[in-house]
Amino acid sequence: MDVLTRAGIALLIMFGGFGLSLLYQYWARLRTPDLFPDLGTLRPGASTLVYFTTPTCAPCKTLQRPAIQQVSQLLGDALQVLEIDAAQRPEVARRWGVLSVPTTFVIDPRGKVRHVNNGVARAEQLLIQLQRG
Amino acid sequence: MTNQPLQKVDHSALKANQLTIILLNILAFVFNLPFLAALVAAVMGLGSLLKLPGFILLYRYFYKPLGLLKPDILDDNPEPHRFAQFLGFLFMAAGSAALFTGAGALGWGLVWLVVALAALNAFGGFCVGCAVYYWLGILKVSGFTKTAPAGIFPGMKPKAR
Repeated sequence: MDVLTRAGIALLIMFGGFGLSLLYQYWARLRTPDLFPDLGTLRPGASTLVYFTTPTCAPCKTLQRPAIQQVSQLLGDALQVLEIDAAQRPEVARRWGVLSVPTTFVIDPRGKVRHVNNGVARAEQLLIQLQRG
Repeated sequence: MTNQPLQKVDHSALKANQLTIILLNILAFVFNLPFLAALVAAVMGLGSLLKLPGFILLYRYFYKPLGLLKPDILDDNPEPHRFAQFLGFLFMAAGSAALFTGAGALGWGLVWLVVALAALNAFGGFCVGCAVYYWLGILKVSGFTKTAPAGIFPGMKPKAR
Protein backbone atom coordinates (compact mmCIF):
# COMPACT_ATOMS: atom_id res chain seq x y z
CA MET A 1 0.00 0.00 0.00
CA ASP A 2 1.31 3.45 -0.85
CA VAL A 3 1.13 6.54 1.36
CA LEU A 4 -1.98 7.91 -0.36
CA THR A 5 -3.93 4.68 0.13
CA ARG A 6 -2.90 4.58 3.78
CA ALA A 7 -3.84 8.24 4.23
CA GLY A 8 -7.22 7.44 2.63
CA ILE A 9 -7.77 4.55 5.02
CA ALA A 10 -6.78 6.74 7.98
CA LEU A 11 -9.22 9.44 6.83
CA LEU A 12 -11.97 6.84 6.39
CA ILE A 13 -11.41 5.51 9.91
CA MET A 14 -11.37 9.02 11.38
CA PHE A 15 -14.53 10.07 9.50
CA GLY A 16 -16.07 6.75 10.52
CA GLY A 17 -15.36 7.54 14.16
CA PHE A 18 -16.76 11.03 13.73
CA GLY A 19 -19.84 9.58 12.01
CA LEU A 20 -20.37 7.12 14.84
CA SER A 21 -20.16 9.96 17.34
CA LEU A 22 -22.78 11.92 15.32
CA LEU A 23 -25.00 8.82 15.18
CA TYR A 24 -24.72 8.46 18.94
CA GLN A 25 -25.72 12.09 19.41
CA TYR A 26 -28.67 11.62 17.02
CA TRP A 27 -29.76 8.50 18.90
CA ALA A 28 -29.46 10.37 22.20
CA ARG A 29 -31.66 13.14 20.76
CA LEU A 30 -34.23 10.61 19.53
CA ARG A 31 -34.48 9.20 23.04
CA THR A 32 -35.39 12.56 24.53
CA PRO A 33 -39.17 12.59 23.79
CA ASP A 34 -39.50 9.46 25.95
CA LEU A 35 -37.90 11.36 28.77
CA PHE A 36 -40.56 14.00 29.16
CA PRO A 37 -43.06 11.90 31.13
CA ASP A 38 -40.53 12.24 33.94
CA LEU A 39 -41.09 15.99 33.97
CA GLY A 40 -44.84 16.17 34.36
CA THR A 41 -46.56 18.99 32.49
CA LEU A 42 -44.32 21.50 30.79
CA ARG A 43 -45.57 25.09 30.78
CA PRO A 44 -46.66 25.93 27.20
CA GLY A 45 -44.58 28.60 25.47
CA ALA A 46 -41.85 28.58 28.10
CA SER A 47 -38.33 27.25 27.86
CA THR A 48 -37.47 24.62 30.43
CA LEU A 49 -34.31 24.06 32.40
CA VAL A 50 -34.02 20.56 33.84
CA TYR A 51 -31.50 20.58 36.64
CA PHE A 52 -30.12 17.34 38.09
CA THR A 53 -28.53 17.63 41.52
CA THR A 54 -27.96 15.64 44.72
CA PRO A 55 -28.01 16.79 48.36
CA THR A 56 -24.26 16.12 48.72
CA CYS A 57 -23.22 18.04 45.60
CA ALA A 58 -21.29 21.09 46.82
CA PRO A 59 -20.88 22.90 43.47
CA CYS A 60 -24.64 22.47 42.92
CA LYS A 61 -25.33 24.54 46.03
CA THR A 62 -22.56 27.07 45.72
CA LEU A 63 -22.46 27.63 41.96
CA GLN A 64 -25.21 25.98 39.95
CA ARG A 65 -28.28 26.88 42.01
CA PRO A 66 -27.33 30.59 42.31
CA ALA A 67 -26.71 30.70 38.54
CA ILE A 68 -30.11 29.15 37.83
CA GLN A 69 -31.82 31.52 40.28
CA GLN A 70 -30.15 34.46 38.53
CA VAL A 71 -31.35 33.28 35.11
CA SER A 72 -34.80 32.51 36.47
CA GLN A 73 -35.15 36.03 37.90
CA LEU A 74 -34.07 37.54 34.59
CA LEU A 75 -36.42 35.50 32.42
CA GLY A 76 -39.40 35.29 34.78
CA ASP A 77 -42.36 33.35 33.34
CA ALA A 78 -40.50 32.61 30.12
CA LEU A 79 -38.51 29.97 31.97
CA GLN A 80 -39.63 26.92 33.88
CA VAL A 81 -37.02 25.27 36.12
CA LEU A 82 -37.40 21.63 37.10
CA GLU A 83 -35.02 20.35 39.74
CA ILE A 84 -34.50 16.60 40.01
CA ASP A 85 -32.69 14.97 42.91
CA ALA A 86 -30.65 12.26 41.16
CA ALA A 87 -30.09 10.48 44.46
CA GLN A 88 -33.83 10.20 45.14
CA ARG A 89 -34.75 9.45 41.53
CA PRO A 90 -31.79 7.48 40.12
CA GLU A 91 -33.97 5.82 37.46
CA VAL A 92 -34.85 9.23 36.02
CA ALA A 93 -31.18 10.27 36.04
CA ARG A 94 -30.28 7.04 34.26
CA ARG A 95 -32.96 7.55 31.59
CA TRP A 96 -31.65 11.04 30.95
CA GLY A 97 -28.08 9.75 30.70
CA VAL A 98 -26.90 11.79 33.67
CA LEU A 99 -23.49 10.55 34.80
CA SER A 100 -22.56 13.35 37.18
CA VAL A 101 -24.11 16.33 38.93
CA PRO A 102 -24.76 19.12 38.31
CA THR A 103 -26.16 18.44 34.85
CA THR A 104 -28.55 20.84 33.18
CA PHE A 105 -30.70 20.33 30.09
CA VAL A 106 -32.01 23.33 28.15
CA ILE A 107 -35.34 22.54 26.47
CA ASP A 108 -36.86 25.01 24.02
CA PRO A 109 -40.58 26.04 24.12
CA ARG A 110 -41.36 23.39 21.47
CA GLY A 111 -40.04 20.69 23.79
CA LYS A 112 -36.74 20.00 22.03
CA VAL A 113 -33.60 19.46 24.08
CA ARG A 114 -31.21 22.09 22.78
CA HIS A 115 -28.23 21.94 25.12
CA VAL A 116 -26.80 19.63 27.76
CA ASN A 117 -24.32 20.96 30.32
CA ASN A 118 -22.33 18.33 32.16
CA GLY A 119 -20.88 20.17 35.15
CA VAL A 120 -21.48 23.70 36.35
CA ALA A 121 -23.05 25.98 33.73
CA ARG A 122 -22.67 29.66 34.51
CA ALA A 123 -25.59 32.07 34.32
CA GLU A 124 -24.25 33.78 31.17
CA GLN A 125 -23.84 30.43 29.44
CA LEU A 126 -27.38 29.35 30.33
CA LEU A 127 -28.78 32.68 29.16
CA ILE A 128 -27.04 32.35 25.79
CA GLN A 129 -28.31 28.79 25.40
CA LEU A 130 -31.85 29.78 26.34
CA GLN A 131 -31.85 32.77 24.01
CA ARG A 132 -30.55 30.67 21.11
CA GLY A 133 -33.47 28.36 21.79
CA MET B 1 -11.52 -1.25 48.78
CA THR B 2 -10.63 2.09 50.37
CA ASN B 3 -11.90 5.49 49.49
CA GLN B 4 -8.75 7.56 49.86
CA PRO B 5 -8.64 11.31 49.37
CA LEU B 6 -8.45 12.55 45.81
CA GLN B 7 -5.35 14.21 44.43
CA LYS B 8 -4.87 17.06 42.00
CA VAL B 9 -4.56 15.67 38.48
CA ASP B 10 -3.82 17.91 35.50
CA HIS B 11 -6.16 16.54 32.84
CA SER B 12 -4.54 18.73 30.20
CA ALA B 13 -1.29 16.77 30.66
CA LEU B 14 -3.29 13.58 30.08
CA LYS B 15 -4.98 15.13 27.05
CA ALA B 16 -1.61 16.21 25.60
CA ASN B 17 -0.43 12.63 26.04
CA GLN B 18 -3.50 11.26 24.26
CA LEU B 19 -3.34 13.78 21.40
CA THR B 20 0.34 13.00 20.83
CA ILE B 21 -0.34 9.25 20.85
CA ILE B 22 -3.15 9.73 18.32
CA LEU B 23 -1.06 11.94 16.03
CA LEU B 24 2.09 9.79 16.09
CA ASN B 25 0.16 6.55 15.58
CA ILE B 26 -1.73 7.97 12.60
CA LEU B 27 1.56 9.20 11.12
CA ALA B 28 3.08 5.77 11.76
CA PHE B 29 0.21 4.14 9.89
CA VAL B 30 0.10 6.58 6.98
CA PHE B 31 3.86 6.48 6.37
CA ASN B 32 4.13 2.79 7.30
CA LEU B 33 6.63 3.40 10.10
CA PRO B 34 6.45 0.52 12.59
CA PHE B 35 9.40 1.99 14.48
CA LEU B 36 7.31 5.11 15.23
CA ALA B 37 4.59 2.91 16.72
CA ALA B 38 7.31 1.12 18.71
CA LEU B 39 8.62 4.50 19.88
CA VAL B 40 5.13 5.46 21.09
CA ALA B 41 4.93 2.11 22.91
CA ALA B 42 8.35 2.72 24.51
CA VAL B 43 7.41 6.23 25.68
CA MET B 44 4.13 4.94 27.13
CA GLY B 45 6.03 2.15 28.87
CA LEU B 46 8.57 4.60 30.26
CA GLY B 47 5.74 6.86 31.43
CA SER B 48 4.12 3.90 33.19
CA LEU B 49 7.41 3.15 34.93
CA LEU B 50 7.90 6.76 36.00
CA LYS B 51 4.20 7.13 36.92
CA LEU B 52 3.84 10.08 34.54
CA PRO B 53 2.05 10.65 31.24
CA GLY B 54 4.59 9.44 28.66
CA PHE B 55 4.62 12.65 26.64
CA ILE B 56 4.59 14.97 29.68
CA LEU B 57 7.64 16.85 28.38
CA LEU B 58 5.78 17.81 25.20
CA TYR B 59 2.99 19.17 27.41
CA ARG B 60 5.43 21.18 29.52
CA TYR B 61 7.59 22.52 26.70
CA PHE B 62 5.26 22.59 23.69
CA TYR B 63 1.51 22.43 24.30
CA LYS B 64 1.46 24.64 27.42
CA PRO B 65 3.95 27.37 26.40
CA LEU B 66 2.23 27.73 23.01
CA GLY B 67 -1.13 28.05 24.73
CA LEU B 68 -2.51 25.00 22.90
CA LEU B 69 -3.61 23.54 26.23
CA LYS B 70 -4.19 25.25 29.54
CA PRO B 71 -3.84 23.42 32.87
CA ASP B 72 -7.08 21.67 33.82
CA ILE B 73 -6.42 20.54 37.39
CA LEU B 74 -9.18 18.40 38.85
CA ASP B 75 -9.68 16.31 41.99
CA ASP B 76 -9.16 12.78 40.75
CA ASN B 77 -7.25 9.54 41.29
CA PRO B 78 -4.00 9.37 39.30
CA GLU B 79 -3.74 5.56 39.57
CA PRO B 80 -6.51 4.69 37.06
CA HIS B 81 -4.90 6.99 34.49
CA ARG B 82 -1.53 5.30 35.02
CA PHE B 83 -3.23 1.94 34.62
CA ALA B 84 -4.93 3.16 31.44
CA GLN B 85 -1.57 4.23 30.04
CA PHE B 86 -0.10 0.87 30.99
CA LEU B 87 -2.94 -0.92 29.17
CA GLY B 88 -2.26 1.30 26.16
CA PHE B 89 1.42 0.40 26.40
CA LEU B 90 0.56 -3.33 26.38
CA PHE B 91 -1.59 -2.92 23.26
CA MET B 92 1.06 -0.78 21.56
CA ALA B 93 3.85 -3.21 22.48
CA ALA B 94 1.82 -6.15 21.14
CA GLY B 95 0.96 -4.13 18.03
CA SER B 96 4.59 -3.16 17.43
CA ALA B 97 5.74 -6.75 17.93
CA ALA B 98 3.12 -7.88 15.42
CA LEU B 99 4.28 -5.26 12.92
CA PHE B 100 7.93 -6.33 13.22
CA THR B 101 7.01 -9.98 12.77
CA GLY B 102 5.02 -9.35 9.60
CA ALA B 103 1.50 -9.51 11.06
CA GLY B 104 0.60 -6.11 9.63
CA ALA B 105 -3.18 -6.33 9.92
CA LEU B 106 -3.04 -7.37 13.58
CA GLY B 107 -0.33 -4.81 14.37
CA TRP B 108 -2.09 -1.85 12.78
CA GLY B 109 -5.39 -3.07 14.21
CA LEU B 110 -3.96 -2.83 17.71
CA VAL B 111 -2.43 0.56 16.95
CA TRP B 112 -5.82 1.83 15.73
CA LEU B 113 -7.49 0.42 18.83
CA VAL B 114 -5.16 2.56 20.96
CA VAL B 115 -5.95 5.56 18.74
CA ALA B 116 -9.70 4.96 19.20
CA LEU B 117 -9.42 4.65 22.98
CA ALA B 118 -7.20 7.71 23.23
CA ALA B 119 -9.65 9.68 21.05
CA LEU B 120 -12.59 8.58 23.21
CA ASN B 121 -10.71 9.88 26.23
CA ALA B 122 -9.43 13.10 24.64
CA PHE B 123 -12.66 14.10 22.88
CA GLY B 124 -15.36 12.21 24.78
CA GLY B 125 -14.02 12.49 28.32
CA PHE B 126 -14.32 8.75 28.90
CA CYS B 127 -11.24 6.78 29.96
CA VAL B 128 -11.82 3.09 29.20
CA GLY B 129 -8.64 2.01 31.04
CA CYS B 130 -9.80 3.93 34.13
CA ALA B 131 -13.22 2.25 33.91
CA VAL B 132 -11.46 -1.14 33.76
CA TYR B 133 -9.40 -0.14 36.83
CA TYR B 134 -12.52 0.81 38.81
CA TRP B 135 -14.37 -2.36 37.76
CA LEU B 136 -11.40 -4.47 38.82
CA GLY B 137 -11.60 -2.63 42.14
CA ILE B 138 -15.31 -3.47 42.42
CA LEU B 139 -14.38 -7.11 41.75
CA LYS B 140 -11.92 -6.78 44.67
CA VAL B 141 -8.86 -7.56 42.57
CA SER B 142 -5.75 -6.91 44.64
CA GLY B 143 -4.00 -3.59 43.95
CA PHE B 144 -7.06 -1.82 42.52
CA THR B 145 -7.95 0.09 45.66
CA LYS B 146 -9.34 3.41 44.46
CA THR B 147 -12.98 4.16 43.83
CA ALA B 148 -14.33 6.67 41.32
CA PRO B 149 -14.80 10.23 42.67
CA ALA B 150 -18.23 10.71 44.25
CA GLY B 151 -21.02 11.34 41.76
CA ILE B 152 -18.84 10.44 38.76
CA PHE B 153 -19.48 7.42 36.57
CA PRO B 154 -16.34 5.21 36.66
CA GLY B 155 -14.07 6.32 33.83
CA MET B 156 -15.76 9.67 33.16
CA LYS B 157 -13.76 12.86 33.57
CA PRO B 158 -14.54 14.55 36.92
CA LYS B 159 -16.13 17.98 36.84
CA ALA B 160 -14.44 21.18 37.97
CA ARG B 161 -15.44 22.29 41.46
